[in-house]
Amino acid sequence: MISKDEVLNLSALARLKLSDEEVVALQKVISSILDYVGQVSAAPIESHTDAKPEPRNVMREDTPHDEGSPLTGKEESLRAAFPTREGDYNVVRKIIQKDE
Amino acid sequence: MSCARLFKKMSNLNELTIAEASKKLASGEVTSVALTQECLDAIAQRNGELNAYLEVFDDALAQAKIADERRAKGESHPLLGIPLAIKDNILIEGKRASAASKILENYVATYDATAIAKLKEAGAVFLGRTNMDEFAMGGSNENSAFGPARNPHDVSRVPGGSSGGSASATAGHLALGALGTDTGGSVREPAAFCGVVGLKPTYGAVSRSGIIAMGSSLDQVGPFGKTVEDAELLFNAIKGRDALDSTSIDASDPVSNEKVIGVPRALFQKGIDPDVLERFEAALKNLEGKGYQIIDVELPSAPLALAAYYVIMPAEASSNLARFDGVRYGLALKGRDLIDDYATTRGQGFGPEVRRRIMLGTYVLSAGYYDAYYGKALGVRDLLRRELDAALGKAAVIATPTVPFPAWKIGEKSDPLSVYLADIFTVTANLTGNPALSVPMGTVEREGASLPVGIQFTAPHGAEQTLFVVGKDAQESR
Repeated sequence: MISKDEVLNLSALARLKLSDEEVVALQKVISSILDYVGQVSAAPIESHTDAKPEPRNVMREDTPHDEGSPLTGKEESLRAAFPTREGDYNVVRKIIQKDE
Repeated sequence: MSCARLFKKMSNLNELTIAEASKKLASGEVTSVALTQECLDAIAQRNGELNAYLEVFDDALAQAKIADERRAKGESHPLLGIPLAIKDNILIEGKRASAASKILENYVATYDATAIAKLKEAGAVFLGRTNMDEFAMGGSNENSAFGPARNPHDVSRVPGGSSGGSASATAGHLALGALGTDTGGSVREPAAFCGVVGLKPTYGAVSRSGIIAMGSSLDQVGPFGKTVEDAELLFNAIKGRDALDSTSIDASDPVSNEKVIGVPRALFQKGIDPDVLERFEAALKNLEGKGYQIIDVELPSAPLALAAYYVIMPAEASSNLARFDGVRYGLALKGRDLIDDYATTRGQGFGPEVRRRIMLGTYVLSAGYYDAYYGKALGVRDLLRRELDAALGKAAVIATPTVPFPAWKIGEKSDPLSVYLADIFTVTANLTGNPALSVPMGTVEREGASLPVGIQFTAPHGAEQTLFVVGKDAQESR
């Protein structure tokens, strides 16, 4: 079974705040799912991390986004979705904070 | 025709197929307003019980009126004026799209998904947005933040998932057809459980622009119809290459004239309900009667497909869902500092299954485990692709049951892994990108209820038209 510390480390990486009960429950359930999906680790095949499909050019034309973007002209509805709005600005928390 | 019969007939417009309704609209026998009104009446009557729709749009009749006006001006399209249900993870500009999650409960879509834009151009009417497993994670609709949708054939049972609301709405005649999304079986499994037709198109056949992403290498928009013909009409309207999705393609293979169906019988040794297998054999027999040859094919790595899927999907989902941080839209909760804002918002905004899959995805992608899980899963995916290609070299389509068992009771399966096992036959097509179609193959009895089960056909990339031909031969005459 994976340890409590491992679960806490994962939750920190995943930016998920979990209750103590959920941490305990996840230890069990993640372990049982890992046991099942672990079949792939045991499979007699190479780890295939460089599987590539046929290359083809998927870049759009290097022209202004006027026609290509579904968001053209939708600025106001984007602003309307801001959790905290001041005028046309999205109010966010200061990113650099002083250690207390 | 007596008045009573006429009345009865006219009062069941919502029970028409899309093809039937389309003909009546074209001949002027009915209007889109009348069709839409009957769907809305059916919704008013049954949605309280089925919970198929999370929201019914207040402009549905206004859309229908516009469709009627377009027809009056000479426009025609098989979907002009056809009322449809849309899964809650497909964006419709100006409408909420929550993916059945608290984190997006009040999110209003800022643009149309390409599939929606195409349907608008065709003149379809959107009745409302349908219930689903949160972020499309589940096979029963029990993971919705807004309560489970229910199966119209037995309301104590799940409709399947994740597109459970779309399947329930189509089967319950609360819409003529619907759109869902399919990442590991999320259109085909609920279609099988609800007794309707569901298609997972070739990866890239339908644009993913405007779909709330789960596993980007697996996701496809797919239609639900009461018949194969209806699913085909919907698919033809939404398919095609799109500049907004670089993985989209124009792929359309000619119909295969070979009437050969490959069956990987080695996969049916265990885990399938005996009566489901009986229905499957009967469906094959029926196809044999229609001139098909049934042959055995081998898919030796298929038993590993589900394990590979439950590595790749959470890995992609955990990456995709990183965008929900409460900064630009959606739920935004305050913590001690910025990083605590994220963790609090995500911890409370996501439901238990979504949190589980994010954690699992984070695990399999973390240093030290990457090769053992993700790398190996990609290897299995490659192998599956080669094996399926080889099998499809011998047969026009591969057939399996869609799901090894019928719909279970709501609350019956508490262990996530036991729910995952419902995907055993459906995930392969998502891993390999092949198109796959589920068609009803009769019912099985469980505790006095007749529950639908489905047969799944898988075809080569781009060969949807072959699926429709075989599917029509397989479907019982309506």
